[in-house]
Formats: sequence, structure tokens, C-alpha cells
Amino acid sequence: MNRSKNQSKRIPKRKKTGLWARITENKLAYYLIAPAIVAMILIHFIPIVSGIMMSFLKLNQFTLKKFLKAPFIGLDNYRTILFDQNSTMRSGFFDALRNTAIFGLICSILVLSIALLLAVLLNREFKFRGLARTLLMTPWVVPSFVVGMLWGFMWQNDGIINRILVDVLHLFPSKPYWLTGPAVMVAIIIPTIWRQVPFVMLMLLAGLQQIPDEFYEAAKIDGAGAWRCFRHITLPLLKSVLSIQILNGIISYVYSFNIVAMMFGHGAGFPGKYGDLMMTNINRNSFQIWQFGTGAAATVIVMLCVMGLVAIWYRVFQNDLVVKE
Amino acid sequence: MYHKNKWGYIMKVKFLSLVLAASLLATSLMGCGNNTDSKATSTEAVKEEVNEDSKTEDTGSEADTPAAETTDGKTIVTMWIMPNSGEPEADFLTVMAPFLEQNQDIDIQVTVLDWGSAWTKITTAATSGEGPDITQLGTTQVAAVAAMGALEDLTGIYDRFGGEEAFVPATLPTTQILGAGEERFAAPWFIDTRALFYRKDICEAAGVNPETDFETWDSFKAALTKMKGVTIEGKEVTPLAMPGKNDWNVIHNFAPWIWGAGGEFIADDNKTSVVDSNEAYEGVKFYTELASEGLMSMPALEKNSAEVEALFNSGEAATIFTGAYEIATLRREQPELAEKIGTAPFPAGPAGRYAFFGGSGLSVFNSSANKEAAYRIIEYLMTPDAQVAYQRLCGNLPTVQATYETDFVSEEPMREAFKEQLEFGKAYPSVAGWGPSETILQKGLSNVWDNVMGVYGDYKPEQTKEFLTQTAGESTVIYNE
Repeated sequence: MNRSKNQSKRIPKRKKTGLWARITENKLAYYLIAPAIVAMILIHFIPIVSGIMMSFLKLNQFTLKKFLKAPFIGLDNYRTILFDQNSTMRSGFFDALRNTAIFGLICSILVLSIALLLAVLLNREFKFRGLARTLLMTPWVVPSFVVGMLWGFMWQNDGIINRILVDVLHLFPSKPYWLTGPAVMVAIIIPTIWRQVPFVMLMLLAGLQQIPDEFYEAAKIDGAGAWRCFRHITLPLLKSVLSIQILNGIISYVYSFNIVAMMFGHGAGFPGKYGDLMMTNINRNSFQIWQFGTGAAATVIVMLCVMGLVAIWYRVFQNDLVVKE
Repeated sequence: MYHKNKWGYIMKVKFLSLVLAASLLATSLMGCGNNTDSKATSTEAVKEEVNEDSKTEDTGSEADTPAAETTDGKTIVTMWIMPNSGEPEADFLTVMAPFLEQNQDIDIQVTVLDWGSAWTKITTAATSGEGPDITQLGTTQVAAVAAMGALEDLTGIYDRFGGEEAFVPATLPTTQILGAGEERFAAPWFIDTRALFYRKDICEAAGVNPETDFETWDSFKAALTKMKGVTIEGKEVTPLAMPGKNDWNVIHNFAPWIWGAGGEFIADDNKTSVVDSNEAYEGVKFYTELASEGLMSMPALEKNSAEVEALFNSGEAATIFTGAYEIATLRREQPELAEKIGTAPFPAGPAGRYAFFGGSGLSVFNSSANKEAAYRIIEYLMTPDAQVAYQRLCGNLPTVQATYETDFVSEEPMREAFKEQLEFGKAYPSVAGWGPSETILQKGLSNVWDNVMGVYGDYKPEQTKEFLTQTAGESTVIYNE
């Protein structure tokens, strides 16, 4: 409150608020962000635009040499993906799209809930809290492709997971095949959650520590229990951090690649009808089958889907991104 | 006024959060930006490498290169190889040592590529014209890279290797583009082929005669049936262990069964996939039904080649089809077990006896400035001595016929079956679209395994046929590009 009052005093009243006037006024700020903007243009904007251009070209092993001068075929790559029954892209595209949606939704919900639960627990005072925090952070340290390789090994029919589930705990009558068929979804979701939770937990923990203790103390005096404190203090005040984590989740699950790719024969295998995600699908079609044009078109489709999701996200959370006074 | 400022403040925060959200989105899109912009990034990577190469050129070659001190007046030949042996660079340079000794005017700079990234690097080199002088190419890659117009025609220098007759015949088609002239764009360097490894003690316990029972598909299947349920040292062994779909070798493992039943991958027009023909289907069905009939380990189908070999090496399987490198692994790691193991050529199918022939060749990029020196190096690597010396380190098989009359074969009884197999080795059709189509075949054959493993309910042979039809359709599109 005080800060904004001071601020309102400090900022002089301006009659002219033209763009150029504002730019010259904040010259230093623009100098400071200039390198970042140049870098963004070079490494983000140009590749994205050339990717979109590639999606209109017939770009395969024979025309790759011409790159952006390859024959222009309009929307044909998009038609191939959506309608051409003989296209390798079409045959797996909708499976991959469906799998990515299921994968993203389940991962988002579970990662957020588990991370929130752990963050709340770790925010309390207890013995060995530092140790617990460190241990919980370790999965994040493991590179994701290593996570894929290791879990791929553990999920095998005679691997350690089945040994525990079947030989020790007797949860199944026979050893299930985790890397084949619909169970693949479980096999890719669990390692992803395992890898993702620590980061989200860390962000939420940082958010939790911003909440002043007085709020809880006041609530307790008013007779609020733990659940009410959580619902009416923790959750609303964490909403801005949570919303960013939801966005982060949407993006990283849609573009999930390493774990899934490495889990099936270290990049060699095909995750199958029930496990193939958009990124493994696009990677296979672009870099192994050499359909760079259709690969780019599929990427554009995914990009549009993600933009749609981000727009929805923005509509839902726009008020929480504003610092309330 | 306060209200106005508050609004301004809110707008700023809102703008900031939008920028944050946009940058998050953009950062993640980078992934796809990279994907789609492979040419630019990998060209950079290659350029960097080329720069590195020229840096070493100035300062002298690396410590473990035989001619380490000076490069003045020497022709430096750059070469890309794959991890063919345990210590790829050192092993290769050991083989090159006698040549470099005798040819003081040549020095060699080796870069070891990983198979996974090699394809991108090689094709980038092919498109940008900035590659090494010599490159190793997988037999299935030669046609694709040659079709890009990046490789030097080596036909004229075959005489220096002793002519075409010097090579095992099945290796020669992989050096050309099928149906597009007689030019040879590679010199066959080594062969990778898979034969049957079996446990002699299990055969004996099951009443299987390895001399005769592994001759044909039917006798092989009967032998596996006899081996089912046999226990050795208290352990029940699986008759056959093979990797299923999570592996780089999926197609290699299917190929002999498809050919043996009279099937082919591509029709004579070199444009149409015929992997869904009745013959090919019969071959695929025969092989995969070994699993549905319990003669092949189902859990092994989730493993890759190395893991399945480990299964065999730990005594859990009676037979396995694998490459000659298994001999060296057995002798080195399991000398006792090695004594109990025999080898046999791939069994004969109803339409003939075939074994898959892969491997690698050596090619010269036409952008090379040191072609003559490159030819001299390749010439040396095609001599029987260099071929044997290198394959003693790599564990694959030489391509030069004369080597099979040396003690390379006579000193190791397990190599005998591989020598026999040279008679009926067969390579994939060497067309430009083969490389890309491998991934489609791999996907289709993975679906076939899924069917056998019960992913789509009970195993249905007609579903296998449907997957093959879909695969053929998709592959044909690629072959026609």
C-alpha cells in the first residue's frame, strides 16, 4: 500500500504519453533488455518463422539441399497429416494427439497436487527438514534422458518394478507388460511426475514462504482449522504461483520428448499406439523418415493447439497475475 | 488520480506477466523451432567441427595419433567413423599405423560419430558440402547420400582393391543406387550378419542334433519345441530369445524370415513396397508365431539386442540369432560358457536360404580436396591384413574374400558358420528411400509384435496382415518421392 502511494507520488504526471516519449524516458531499461530481445529474435523468432515457412514446402531428403527454396506446395502438408490415409504422419497423428492430451492432463493434475502436498509439508518446522528437502530435490538433478533409460529398464517385464509388485507384494496374478499396450501410458507418466515434482514443489515452497505467518495466527485465533487455513489463506495466496506452474506444465508436457524417446530401446523403439506422443511422432517423421515439410506442419498444428491452451489459461488466470493491492 | 495510477500499475504488471508467459511459451517452442530448423543448427555444428579440425591442423594432431609432431608438408585426410570397436579411435589408428609408417606424406584425423547423430551430421555434410574427406556409411545409407549427389564415384579405383571379385558378392549391391546406373559410391568395409548361436549342452539334453536340426525352418521349430521345458543347472531355459520392438535391429531380425518365405521388401520397379505380399506375410507370421507358441521368450521382446545377448550369456536361453561380435564377447567375458556354444547358419525357408547382410562401407565426399590420399587410405583398408586386423578389434566380418582363407576363420570354430553364410547373404535393396522407410517398417513390425503380445486382445494373424498392408502403403509413398 505504502509503496504504491510513494510510487504514485514519485511518478510525475505526464501529459504526453506517446510511444517515443515513453521509450526515451525509459532509455536505460530498453538498453538493458536489448541484448535479450536480439537473442530472442535470433534464436526464437527466426527459427519459428522458418519452421512455419517449411510447413508449406515439399521438404524431404531430395529437396533438403534447397531448404527454404524447396518447392512450395501450399497447404498440402496439412492435408497429408489430416486426410491422407497412406501417409505415415496421418496414421499415427491422432493417436499421438490423444495420447499427448491424456498424458498432459494427468501429469498436470498429479504433479501439481503432489508438489503442493509436499510443499505444504516441507513448509512446516520438523527435524531433518533440510535433509528431506534435499532428498526430494534429487530426481530433478537426473537428466531427463537418463530418467527415460533407467525407468525403461525398470519397467521391463522381468524388471524390478514387476518383481516388487508381483513377487513381493502379489498385487497382480502375473507380471504385466508395462512397455507394451495401454499400460505404456502409466509407464511414461510416472517417471515424468517423478522428475517434474521437485521443481514445481520448489516454486510452490517459495510461494508459501511469502505468506506472512500473521495470517495463519489471526485465522487460528478466529478458530480456523488446518483445512480452512489451507482453503482460505494458502490456496488463494498461492494462486499466482500455481497459475504459472499450470502454464509451465501445459507447455512442458505437450513438448515432452526425452523420457518417452529413451524409454523404448534408447530412442530406437516405437512407443506404440498408446504411448506415442506428439514430439516423438514429429521427431520420427522429421528426422528418421525425412518428411521435414510435414514434420514442420505438424509442429505448427501443435503450436496452434498450445497457443489455444495458453489463451484459455490466460482468460482463466488473468486476474491472478495482477498484484492485488 | 490514485485510481488512474493504480490502473497503470496493474497494466504494467499485466504486461510483465504477459511477457513472462510469452517468453515461457517461446522458450518451449524453441524445441520445435530447433526441430524444424535442423539445417541451420546442424550446419553450425559441422562448421564448428570443421573449424576444430583446421585448428588441430595448425597445432598438430592429437597425442594418440601416430604422427603427432608436425603436419608441415603432409596431407591431412579427415575421416568420420562410427564406434565400431571398444576404443573406436585408438583401435582404428592401431590398424592404420603400418600405413602411416610407410606413407609419411599422409596424416589422418579421425572423428568418431555416434550412430544416433551420424545420420544428421552426414546429411548436413552432404547438403552443405562441408564434410570430411572419407566417411563410413552404413550399407543402408549409401544410396541415400549418393542420391543427394554428395559422394565421389569410386568405380574407377576398384581395380586398386583387386577388382569387384575381391569382395564377398552380397556386399557389392549396397555400394550402388539400385536401378540408377553402375557407379559404385562406396567400398564395402565390413559385414554385419547374424547367425544362430546355440548351447550344445541344451541341444544334447533335448535330443537335438545341431548338425541337421538347424537346417530348415521346420526342423528348427521342431528343435525349439524339443528344447522347451528343458532345465539346465536347475534353471528352465527359454528355447529362443530375440529382441522385439525396442531395438535398432527390428527389421534385420525379420528380414531373413521374409526372404526365406519368398517375400521381398520392394518390388522390381524399386518404387512399390511389397512387404504385405502373401509370401512376406507368411515369413513374418512364422517368425512371430514362435513367440505366440511359447518357443520364444515374451519378456525378452521388450528388451534391446544388448539386453537379450546378456540373457543368452547368462545362460537363460538355448538359442539366439546375433552377430559375429558375440563370439568375441563370449571368449572375453564367459570363456567357460563359450566352450558350450556352437554356431549355425540361418535356417533355410521354404523359398530359399537367406541371411541378412548389413555393415558399412567407406565413401569419399566429392567436396574432398584430398581425394588421392583418401583413395590410398581406403586401398590400404581393403587389404586382407588390414581387414582382418580391424575385425579382430571390432568383431564383425571382413568384406574381402581372401580373408576367409586365413587363420581368422580357422582359429575360431564359431566363425565357420559365418563363413558358410557368405553364400546366402542378402542386403536390403539399395534405394534412396530405404533409410527413411526403415522407420516406417520398424513402426509396422512393432505393431505386429504388439499384436502377438496381446495388446489388441487375443493374437489375430489377420491383424498382422493389416499392419503389413498399412506399412506397405506408407513405405510406397516414401519410395516414390
